[in-house]
Amino acid sequence: MERPLLLKRLCAVSTLLVILLIAAIFLGVSSGSTGSGIRQTLRTLLIGPSAADPMSYTIIWQIRFPRVILAILVGGTLSLGGLVFQALLRNPLAEPFILGISSGAGIGAILGILAGLPRFPGVTATAFAGSMITLFLLFVMSSGQTLMKKDTLLLSGVMVNAFCAALITFLMSMTQDSRLHNILFWLMGDLSTADPRQVGILALALIPCFVLLFVLSNSMNLLLMGRDLAQTMGLNIKITTLTLLLVTSFMVSLTVSLCGPVGFVGLVMPHLLRLVFGPDHRVLVPACILGGGTYMVLCDLLARTLPEQGEMPAGVITAIVGVPLFIILLKRSSR
Amino acid sequence: MGTAAAARTVTDESGRHLSVPEDPRRVVSFAPSITEIIFVLGRQDRLKGVSRFSDYPPEAGQLPSVGSYIHLDVERIVASEPDLCFATKDGNPKDVVSRLAALQIPVYVVDPRNLEGVMETMLRMGDVLDAAPKAKAVVEEMRSRIDRVKALVAKAPSRPRVFFQIEISPIVSVGEQTFVNELIEMAGGTNLAKGPAPYPRFSREQVLALAPDVILVTSMARGGRFEQVREEWARWPSIPAVRHNRILMVDSNLFDRPGPRLVIALEILARLIHPELFVPDPLEKKK
Repeated sequence: MERPLLLKRLCAVSTLLVILLIAAIFLGVSSGSTGSGIRQTLRTLLIGPSAADPMSYTIIWQIRFPRVILAILVGGTLSLGGLVFQALLRNPLAEPFILGISSGAGIGAILGILAGLPRFPGVTATAFAGSMITLFLLFVMSSGQTLMKKDTLLLSGVMVNAFCAALITFLMSMTQDSRLHNILFWLMGDLSTADPRQVGILALALIPCFVLLFVLSNSMNLLLMGRDLAQTMGLNIKITTLTLLLVTSFMVSLTVSLCGPVGFVGLVMPHLLRLVFGPDHRVLVPACILGGGTYMVLCDLLARTLPEQGEMPAGVITAIVGVPLFIILLKRSSR
Repeated sequence: MGTAAAARTVTDESGRHLSVPEDPRRVVSFAPSITEIIFVLGRQDRLKGVSRFSDYPPEAGQLPSVGSYIHLDVERIVASEPDLCFATKDGNPKDVVSRLAALQIPVYVVDPRNLEGVMETMLRMGDVLDAAPKAKAVVEEMRSRIDRVKALVAKAPSRPRVFFQIEISPIVSVGEQTFVNELIEMAGGTNLAKGPAPYPRFSREQVLALAPDVILVTSMARGGRFEQVREEWARWPSIPAVRHNRILMVDSNLFDRPGPRLVIALEILARLIHPELFVPDPLEKKK
């Protein structure tokens, strides 16, 4: 694709998705457990804290807004995770959750929580270690070449997930720690613990990764053309692959340590966006951040407004949407 | 948040210093036990929100819910515009307490560890809620009821071996660091699950080997499967409790809430563990 044309497409796609994202953010901050009101929200947002109602100002800015930002970061990260793994492994079904990388990070995070480490950097570090170990396991189970085969990859993922589930139950049975009270909710992917400070730290850590992946987006295009061709185009395959794997795992671990493993976002969004905008990763990377963010904000919105009492983990919604899509993709790709 | 009314600095039971209003008007409770304490102190008119399973006294169930004990809803808490919240140290998530603190909402954390601690908590809450005389009277009444039970069971010839079952599958009992352990000992029984683990798990075989004289089962309020549990135990007549038909049910809400009704739980336990001391019932007579 020619450069000016690419730039034009990039601008068009981004503008469209930014508009959708802003709409989703607005919906997200205007509804919650104390009811929703579009007009009320508009007034609060426009007039500011001096308005007659400081309480709804606090609710919108201090409670709902951090949560919406968290959803955007998580959705963007997981969509990118799916996009990167699908390109690296040349497998349409690859995704951090399906591969077991999220569960590995989950185990690491639980160990960190049990050890009494702070959320940053302690629990994040143990989560990252967990995800790296599962990644290593995946490579051991299916050596380089066969990893690209769909069945081997899926089976390895299933096994890693089963092992992680067993380990989590093991840890929960061995300890009677009150810190694990909330763990079942967290294990399904839960955004309710959005603390403004933690969301700020998460954003600071993730945004450079987003930029780095955008820089590497053309390399992902080349990787998809095959190793030989990529090499002749001057791509250092080893370094690129390693960088992509490390950055993506780091990003996923960050979100897991805060919200638990949210599944299937990395499957739904990249496929949908590829269908609409085509296969160019230079467009898809920003599209995944914006589109994935929008998707996650809406899923979390459903998760906290559907139940009459309390709320459900956002991962429940993403799984209900994601699993049928996974089955469709599996059927189509095995034809 | 709210207007700057007269405030004072207090230290809560987790050691945090916080500024509380001199006369709190909008109070939110994060646990059923705290709700019960606020009602017994006569300050229910100031309760603007309670945790989800606050169902005693029944009027408490009418109050707006701010989410469950474990999964508190910060948005609803903020929306009830509290000038003071009460939380428990172990049950309620710490991050909710710190988020509310960041929003300038004072949260008084209570942390009673035993029956004496519950009464101290009640006195402290009475002080904070401007109900100190009432708290003192309630605690005095509790103390005298506890002393009556203690005096009564001191006359008992034996200390029956009690197995207190709080969970059916797996079988879970209560260790040393629990209120129930203290109540069993105070009511003149021996807790067979005594040990460092707060909620130890048991196999059927282990319970058989312990040979309890009394088996008490609590999970009644959550599903009414007591008959089924009794039948399961009835298959093992080698257990003294089975032979003497002493598998009994107790209301879990009385036993797992560190609040004013623990003293009722104590009296019930004493009657169940030492029925021989209660014919005729001396506690009834004195009332």
